[in-house]
Amino acid sequence: MLEISRLDVFYGDLQALWDISISVDEGKIVALVGSNGAGKSTVMKAITGLLKPKSGKIIFRGNRIDRLPPHHIVEMGICMVPEGRRLFPGMSVQENLEVGASPASARKIRSNTISWIYEIFPVLKERARQQAGTLSGGEQQMLAISRALMSNPRLLMIDEMSLGLSPVVVQDLSKIIKEINKSKKLTILLVEQDVQLALSLADQGYIIENGRIVGQGKCSDLLCDAQVKEAYLGMGKEGKTG
Amino acid sequence: MENVLQVILVGILVGGLYGLVALGFALINGVMRFINIAQGSFIVLGGFICYWIVTLLHIDPYLAIPMVMAAMFIVGIILYRSLFSPLLKYPKAEMRLDKSLLLTFGVVWMLDNLEILFWTSNSRSIITSYGFGTVQVLGAALSYTGLIGLGLAVLAAAVLHIVLTRTYFGKHVRAATEDAGAASLSGVNVQRTYLISTGIAVALAGLAGTVIVTSYSVTPGGGISWLLTAMVVVTLAGPGNMNFMIPAGIILGVIQSASTLFVNPAYQQPIALIIFLLIIMFRPQGLFSKGVKGL
Repeated sequence: MLEISRLDVFYGDLQALWDISISVDEGKIVALVGSNGAGKSTVMKAITGLLKPKSGKIIFRGNRIDRLPPHHIVEMGICMVPEGRRLFPGMSVQENLEVGASPASARKIRSNTISWIYEIFPVLKERARQQAGTLSGGEQQMLAISRALMSNPRLLMIDEMSLGLSPVVVQDLSKIIKEINKSKKLTILLVEQDVQLALSLADQGYIIENGRIVGQGKCSDLLCDAQVKEAYLGMGKEGKTG
Repeated sequence: MENVLQVILVGILVGGLYGLVALGFALINGVMRFINIAQGSFIVLGGFICYWIVTLLHIDPYLAIPMVMAAMFIVGIILYRSLFSPLLKYPKAEMRLDKSLLLTFGVVWMLDNLEILFWTSNSRSIITSYGFGTVQVLGAALSYTGLIGLGLAVLAAAVLHIVLTRTYFGKHVRAATEDAGAASLSGVNVQRTYLISTGIAVALAGLAGTVIVTSYSVTPGGGISWLLTAMVVVTLAGPGNMNFMIPAGIILGVIQSASTLFVNPAYQQPIALIIFLLIIMFRPQGLFSKGVKGL
């Protein structure tokens, strides 16, 4: 569905990504994990069109998207929940959702999407008229995910979902994401610092370090991988056999 | 006592116009964080275009409003395409502000001299058959043109409010104002909202110019004093506080008008600037602002 091949991205003269290749299959949850500053968000920026890659290709459902402006990419069916949520704090919950339904195709089914979202997140319905800035952290993340869902995406990308949220809230959100993935056949790309969480949610995983992909595979395999355990899951060498 | 009432009512009428003058300036400033120094000159240009249409077609100036606003909307589109959109390559809003200031300052010189070229440096006004008519309100005489001007100002502010809060376009404008990056990630074509906002802001200058040319007069080079008025009103209301531009304009109008009871009317502009300085010093967020940025 999404095919990233041999991507090089620069910030000015500074190279941030080297030779990144990632493939996301339809209907799957894919995780891109790595530590702070490894380049996860830069990959996101390249996919969403905020950064133009120097070389390499991003192909989405047969179309090359790496030269398109961000709003065009949303129209093609890729929507991102940005890191730090980035809601419109002075606008109401309902208005935030309405802005999310910007693509013409999403506008037509807007009221259906809103009622579906109010079903999965009833708390947003209660707060529909409230300013988004007054919501709690968890509610804000729900609204950010919902705003992205309003664009009726085929691929939903979530950047640092767990950041700053309590474990209980993270668990609830994870459950809902898994459900949406199953019921709506929505493909999801998770970008996470919380490696354990991301790999337990996803089917397929990529590990990024210093702007390069250093590991990939089925998440169940990655979770057992000794190196991954040591580097990301805080399990020391004593857990390793041999 | 009657004198006081007359002064206050006249202040309200002229204040409505001040609010209208500020609307377009505030829209560009709120949405793009640009300072459009040329807004006053656009108002004068709008006045001249209205004068032109009325002289050529012999129609009532208020019937010319759609034409004036349409012409000025196109001027706004040209302004955005030629000068504003190149500034967006600067990633931070603060980096664009001073550059927009310099660029539009250039536009002021250009427009002033073009206006002299086309219409000579004489001031122009449109005199209608009802231009000198007045209505008696509680013993005070109010001019028809002043009342129409206030009505148009309130109407323009109300329509703008409805557009910003009720329409898709308006919600996109507000989203782009609050967080342009997040808006484009949500599928909003931010450049397009900027383009149309600039068009609307300059069209509003056309409306203000029409009101001015029918009640007062327009002079090439007179734009800068309307710009100052716009800046004082925006400061009073609080930047981005679109709903309070007309009330803030009326406050300024009444203060200026009341000052004529005590000092020479020639001091009206200095009084506006003193208010401007006092607000900047003691209440920089404006009289009505709750400190929340947005439209």
